[in-house]
Parts: sequence; C-alpha cells; structure tokens
Amino acid sequence: MNSLVSRFSTTGPIAELRKAKEVLGDDDEFSDAVWGSEAGFGSLANGVPKFSIPQVPDPSAFLRLHTDDHSDPSCRIKIKHGTTTLAFRFQGGVIVAVDSRASAGSYVASGTVKKVIEINPYLLGTMAGGAADCQYWETYLGIQCRLHELRNRERISVAAASKYLSNLVYSYKGMGLSMGTMICGWDKTGPAVFYVDSDGTRLKGDLFSVGSGSTFAYGVLDQGYRWDLTDEEAQELGRRSIYAAGHRDAYSGNTINLYHVKEDGWKFIGNYDVSKMHYEGPNGVGYGYDIRTEGRSSANPPATQ
Amino acid sequence: MSIMEYNGGSVIAMVGKDCVAIASDLRLGVQSLSISSNFQKIFPVTDRIYVGLPGLASDVTTLHEQFRYRVNMYTIKEEREIEPQTFAQMVSSTLYERRFGPYFIEPVIAGMQRTPSGSYEPFIAATDLIGCLNFAKDFVVAGTASSELFGAAEGLWEPDLEAEDLFETISQTLLNAVDRDTFSGWGAVVHVMTKDKVITRTLKGRMD
Amino acid sequence: MTSFYSGPGFDFSNTVRNNFLQDRGLPLPKATSTGTTIVGCIYKDGVVLGADTRATEGPIVADKNCEKIHYITESIRCCGAGTAADTEFTTALISSNMEMHALSTGRKPRVVTAMTMLKQMLFRYQGHVGAALVLGGVDVTGPHLFTIAPHGSTDKLPYVTMGSGSLAAMAVFEAGWKPDMTREEALELVVAAISAGIFNDLGSGSNVDACVITANKTEMLRNFVRPNERVTKERSYGFRRGTTAWKKEQIRSLIVSEEVVKHGEAMDVS
Repeated sequence: MNSLVSRFSTTGPIAELRKAKEVLGDDDEFSDAVWGSEAGFGSLANGVPKFSIPQVPDPSAFLRLHTDDHSDPSCRIKIKHGTTTLAFRFQGGVIVAVDSRASAGSYVASGTVKKVIEINPYLLGTMAGGAADCQYWETYLGIQCRLHELRNRERISVAAASKYLSNLVYSYKGMGLSMGTMICGWDKTGPAVFYVDSDGTRLKGDLFSVGSGSTFAYGVLDQGYRWDLTDEEAQELGRRSIYAAGHRDAYSGNTINLYHVKEDGWKFIGNYDVSKMHYEGPNGVGYGYDIRTEGRSSANPPATQ
Repeated sequence: MSIMEYNGGSVIAMVGKDCVAIASDLRLGVQSLSISSNFQKIFPVTDRIYVGLPGLASDVTTLHEQFRYRVNMYTIKEEREIEPQTFAQMVSSTLYERRFGPYFIEPVIAGMQRTPSGSYEPFIAATDLIGCLNFAKDFVVAGTASSELFGAAEGLWEPDLEAEDLFETISQTLLNAVDRDTFSGWGAVVHVMTKDKVITRTLKGRMD
Repeated sequence: MTSFYSGPGFDFSNTVRNNFLQDRGLPLPKATSTGTTIVGCIYKDGVVLGADTRATEGPIVADKNCEKIHYITESIRCCGAGTAADTEFTTALISSNMEMHALSTGRKPRVVTAMTMLKQMLFRYQGHVGAALVLGGVDVTGPHLFTIAPHGSTDKLPYVTMGSGSLAAMAVFEAGWKPDMTREEALELVVAAISAGIFNDLGSGSNVDACVITANKTEMLRNFVRPNERVTKERSYGFRRGTTAWKKEQIRSLIVSEEVVKHGEAMDVS
C-alpha cells in the first residue's frame, strides 16, 4: 500500500527520481528495483555519477592524508598496488597479458587477482593502480558502451570507448583516482590498443606495458616484437614478458593471465603459474636463467641430486 | 619502507629432538628489484654453530666479518671452541655496543651446545637489532617475513621432531611464509644439525 | 695501528650513516620492548617482586616467556620494563659494579647503592637508555623498594608498579595492600597485581614471575603461576617425509675419524 502511495505522490525521493527521469526524457514506467538496482549503477545509468563525500573542508586532501603511504608508511588505508600488465597489437590481433599479485606494503594480499577486465566480448581493460577504481570505472564503461550500441545500432570503436574513459577520469583529476589501464579490442579499423591513465593521458599505440614491473616486461617485449608474429609466437611473447616481470619485480608475480583479441572478440588463452614457467615453462623448457644455463659451463655445474 | 626492507630476507631456526635446524631465503634485492637468488645469509661459526643475519646486506657482510674476528680471537685466547650460548652473548654485546647507532641486522643463532656430561643439546636464540637476546625453546624468526613466519611456525611446529621431520617442518614453514612476503623468497637453504652431522639442502622455491 | 679493542662505552660510528638513512625516509626498525607489568611490595619480613613474561616488537609477541626479574646481588633484584636490551644490559652492568663494590668494601652492598648507581647512569643518558625499573631488596638497614624512571628520577614507596600494565596493577595494590602483611598475603597480592596486568593490559601477558627477598634468603619463583598454558594440539600437522622438493644436498660429518697407520717394525723387546 505504501509503495502504491509513494508511486503517485508528488513529494518524496521516488517522485524526485520520476521528475528527474522526465527531465532526462526517460519514459519507462518501471522503478529502479526492476533492474536489480541496475547492477549497483542505479545512480549512474543516466550519466549522473554521485558519490558520498566526507564532510570535511577538502575531501581530496583528506583522502590523500589517509592513503598516501609514501610520505606516511603507517597511514590507515593502504591502497593495493604493484602490477605488471601488457598489451600489444600485431598481425593476428591483440595480446593482453597480466600478472595476478596484489600487495599491500610488503604483504602479498592475493595471488589470484583478475587484472583483465572483460568490458564486453570485444573489449578488454587492464588493471594497474587502484583495483577498485579500475574495476568500477571499467564496468561503468561497459554500461556506456552497451548504451552506445543501443543508441547507434553498432559497436563502439576502441578509440571512442577509451576516450569516454579518459574524459571521465579527467573530470575527477586531482581527487585521488589511481588507474593505469590499456583498453584493447577489435573494431572497424582492426586491432586497437589505447593507454589511458588517471592523469588523463590517452595514447594510441602498438605496444604498452604498465605497472611496477613494466620495465622488465618491456625488455623482453621490445626484443621479441614484430608485426608479423604468428598467433603462437605472440602469445608466447606475452607470457614470457610477464614471466620476466614476475621474476624480477617483487610486487609482481604468482600467475599470468593471457588473452588474445581477434576479429570475433577476445578469447581467454590460459592461466600460467610464474614459478612453474621458471622451472618447466609452457612446454617443458624452463624460462629460468639457472635452468637454461645449468650444466652448460663450469660456472654453472649440473646440480647433483 | 624501513631499512630492514631495503634488501629483504628472512631467517628461521627450530629445535627438534637432539637436533636443530636453521633456514633462510636466498633473495637479495634493492627494494622491489630482485638482484640475486644466491645470497647466503646463514654462516657457519664453528662446526656446531650457525648464525643467520637477515637485514641490510652491507651489514650482513660487516657483521659476519666482525663475528669471525671475535670468534677467532676467542678461540686463540681460550684455546677452545666457542659454545653456542657464549656466542649468543658475544652477538648480543657486539650489537648493544652500538645501541645508539645500530647495525640493521636481527641475528638468529642455532647450534648444538655441549652439556657437562659430554653430549650435545639443541640451542637456538635470536636478538633484535640492539642485542636483546631471546632464548626460545621452540623456534625463533627474523627478517621481512617475520610476522608470516611466526604464524606459520606457531601452527606447524611441534616438540621432539626427528631430524628428517624437522627438515620438512622448517622448510614448509619458510617456503609458505616467504610466498606471502614480497621482499623474501627466490629460493631457500636449510641446515639441519644433529650431534654428528650437518645436512645442508637447497630448496626448490617459488621464483617470483 | 688500530687497537684490537674498542674503548669502553657505546660506539657511535654508525650514527652518521643511520641519520642519513633516516633523513632519506627510511625509519629505524623497532627494538624489542617489554610492554610489561612489573611490581614490588614490602611486607613484614622483606620484599616481594613480580613481573609478567611477555616481550613485544610492535604488535608482535616476540617472546612468550622472557625473564624480567634481573639479578643485581644475592639479596637485591631488579624488574625491568621498557626497551628490553636496555633493561638487560643496564642491570647486568650495575650488577657487575655492585659485585666489585662488595669486594672492595668487604660488606654486603645496600639497595640504595644500587639505586644510586642506576639513577646516575640513566640520568647521564637523559632517557635515551629506555629502562624503567623496580628495584627491591633487603640489606643491613632493612627492606627497601624503589622505582627508577628512564630519565633517572626515583621513588621510595611501600608498594610500586611500572610498565604499561602499571595502572591495572596499582589498582589491585591500592585496594589490597596493608602494612605488615605475611609472606603468603604479600605473594598473593603480587600475583593478583601481575595477573591484572596480564589480563587487562595488551602489552603484558603469559606467566607470573615472582621473587621473595628476606634478610637471609632469596626465592626466585620463576613461572610461579602459569594461567595461559597452551593446550596441546588435538592433531599433528607433521609433513610426510619427502614433501619438500630440494635441488641440492650436502652432508658434512662432524665425527673426526682417526686411522692409525703402522710404520716400521715393532721394537724388539726380547
């Protein structure tokens, strides 16, 4: 009964929402509850993001004070960081490879993080920096991409999707967002990779790597990259590059997640344990330096069991 | 980031039945960059004493040399080998001498102590960076993974383990603890000491 | 040529380096400290000292059963709270000096002597030696009980508490202390005071150590009460042999084997 009254009353929050929908030209008769609160994006589906903000004079300074662990290691909230992600474009599509470690200070908080965000069957986003920021905004991007499809009866281009994200994070500049992401996909122009970060940078390119282990990944990637790589060679290059970063960088490691984007959308290739890659590799030949050099010279004598 | 985390590394020692074990990881890093997977942090002092020195790598070398010098001087003057208990006190005094400008090392000592009856009993000890001794009867830990090691050891250690069982317990404790620490790992080494032999094994650990 | 021996006292040669590192934003690691409840009380025939047995490193319990009642002389003992290394070495140094003093004077040393030595040392270091002490003992002038704070100030009282659990312990003393108690009453009160610290203060824990000092006898009651005994595990977590993969093994034998090789012929003794 109460719900019936509130549906037709002219005051109260539901009426406000109804008015807002009228203003926006949204003519559906259903309440938000029908959409299951729109997957947690109830307040955002109409393009008006709203967040609760702490009641302090300068909210972003307040956040910085409690999360910046470089200036104050004993700060209350430790944002999880440290990552290696990479994506590159080649003749056969786009390869996306990431590690799976989440660290808080020196503690390995998780070794099974999904750092590739499946925005839709044709778009992938990678995760570096704030995990929550990447997950939330890339899911939000997924909603917008779907709306674009419905409005325009065609898939959004990677360029447009990445620009949407870049414009969005730019509007929050200086407020503490932390993301370094690659938006990868296949559109009318073919395979595409865009780098977008929370500073507002947006770059189109063939090859990117982001995160604390990116320097190590670039080392392997640059050395082995060619446009006319075969699918197998490209996948191996992505896997080998993340292994290198997982090996040398303390904040990267545990497992590798490998994706391949082709004309018909992305495909998950596999999950590979970094340590297993070191000792055994993907097909019995270990990546590890000591494994490869063992017994080859007097400086590396064969191990005696 | 504390100075102890600059190079990383962890050490653990455990007591068993008529045996002791001491184990460490093999990583040497510079903050997040891992440099070496063969950096020994455990050193033999005498036939029956090992000392583990986790902490700042430059101090690992300096203190190792300092202890070697002091132990040699002791051996010459006393005309006998130093006992683990005595060595622990020597470590403690050496560190406390620098109370107001410490070495960034938290030593762990493991050895077989000679009893008045001529047999040997297990001995372990650890000190903080200014030489406060901790004589434990079960296990001692130190290094960047110390909190993880405490947790794992508290759950896995049990009294009167035979040498081979102690090897499994200390190895699993160390390997699983360092896998949860970014600054430790990259292989491990274990020494298990009984009254008549020392078994040293290099473990196959995670390399990330 | 440099001397084989460094001079007496502290060595400051690392301080320049360490200050540099600290300025670079690398803070000093925590030393072991004893959060601690330590107490003392005077009774009819002497003094009872008490202490808990927990040592901490920040939030970690570093030692579950450490000794905080330190030997000064046969009939003087000292409980220590604060930086564990400092209480350990300060009491050891004063104990040594008291022994020297006893030998040179040929008399049994007094509690005030130990107290004066301790306060002069702590004052000299201006609180940088972080030792908070409860000193108790019996000498020719009777039973004495002191507290010595890290900066060198002292108190002489019939019942005292120190450390992070001092408030909990003092509450027990204030409620239960009376003059001329018997040994049993005093010991019971000390146990109650330390227990209050163990159970109500997070920096204190594990067992109760006590020490009863009278004119002609000192009883060190190590682990007098053990209210926090760990129950034995219901199940063993032992690993099957061969669980751990290893790459290399080296076995060093510590048995010295000797072989006697005969040379020449046996001497003719016929």
